[in-house]
Amino acid sequence: MFEAVAAYPDGDSTVSRQARTAADYGYDGLVVRTRDADFDATAISDRYGIEVVGGIEVDAADPESAAGAVGNYRPECSVLLVRGGTNALNRYAVETDRIDVLTRPMAGDGDFNHVLARAAKTHRVHVEFDFGPVLRASGGPRVQALQGLRKLRELVEQYDAPFVVSVTADAHRQLRAPRELRAVGKQIGFTPDQITAGLEAWGAIVARNRERADERFIEPGVRRGRDEP
Amino acid sequence: MKHLPKHIRPRWRYLAVEIEAAPDAAIDRGAFQRALWYAAGNLLGDAGSADADLTVFGFEYADGVGEAIVRTRREETAAARAALACIDSVDDQPIGLVVRGISGTVRACEESYLRDRSPDLTEESVAFADDQRPAIRRDDVAELSLPEASVAATELDFH
Repeated sequence: MFEAVAAYPDGDSTVSRQARTAADYGYDGLVVRTRDADFDATAISDRYGIEVVGGIEVDAADPESAAGAVGNYRPECSVLLVRGGTNALNRYAVETDRIDVLTRPMAGDGDFNHVLARAAKTHRVHVEFDFGPVLRASGGPRVQALQGLRKLRELVEQYDAPFVVSVTADAHRQLRAPRELRAVGKQIGFTPDQITAGLEAWGAIVARNRERADERFIEPGVRRGRDEP
Repeated sequence: MKHLPKHIRPRWRYLAVEIEAAPDAAIDRGAFQRALWYAAGNLLGDAGSADADLTVFGFEYADGVGEAIVRTRREETAAARAALACIDSVDDQPIGLVVRGISGTVRACEESYLRDRSPDLTEESVAFADDQRPAIRRDDVAELSLPEASVAATELDFH
């Protein structure tokens, strides 16, 4: 199971501190959302026994600038995330094959519908269930976040769209163990299997992108054969 | 009042909780209990919160690390775990926490899941991001004071 976190300088904990806590809580891997984070993945995995993968979360105001960032950053990261939060950005993200994850689709003015859910499935863009506000907000914003999660869950179930689960932590103290997330998920209508699948999906994205970066890979379903020169 | 006969007493479960906060954060039992009730009330509602009947039994905390034993009804351990996960801060001080295990008695809970206290803190200056910074250190982790904010790091970041 993987978790995806923001780290120093965007968060209050460095990548290695986040990795130490995540390993302690039973995660197998960590996706780093912060582009400027400085870390040595091998040293961290030797020390704490957890796989650390570099990702980039594109936070753009509109689809045009997001498209520029996606083109620039796709080659340099293993996992490319685009932060949603407006209808235009959500739509752009789920219709772009090169994007792995649409994060926080229901935040702010963002909304989701059956068209976007179908597109996410077609383009294999994972939709993120953001548990951050459930764990850390209270009152009205939390109620809205729960409403958003419920709507998103119903659409994702109906159209079988790929999804990931994260607590969008930007400090190691915000991380929670998978078992705790399953318990919280159960209270707000998710099945424990959905939470597990959502956490494991990060690992599947990393594996898929590794395979694509392999030099034997030509296109999905086509690989250079054993006997090719 | 006379205590209940054994066969109709509630069955309890005890959750071993490990707490982690900033080294200078002060947290006491009362504050943790309040945060727990608040989290349970918000997540489970009044009815669910009454069913779970969450009580902080043992509480030990000093210098940013602590352990608590939380009692709940036997049938409500999942709800208790969910409520615990929703405590993000105590008295506005962010805390991390994890349930290490669940037992049927306080003693088994302490013996099986709670470890001894971590070694003491040391204050020193470390090299981080091309500068020397004051840090409070325990084992391989440290809390660094930067001009804007404090940053949690491990010794892998010092160079």
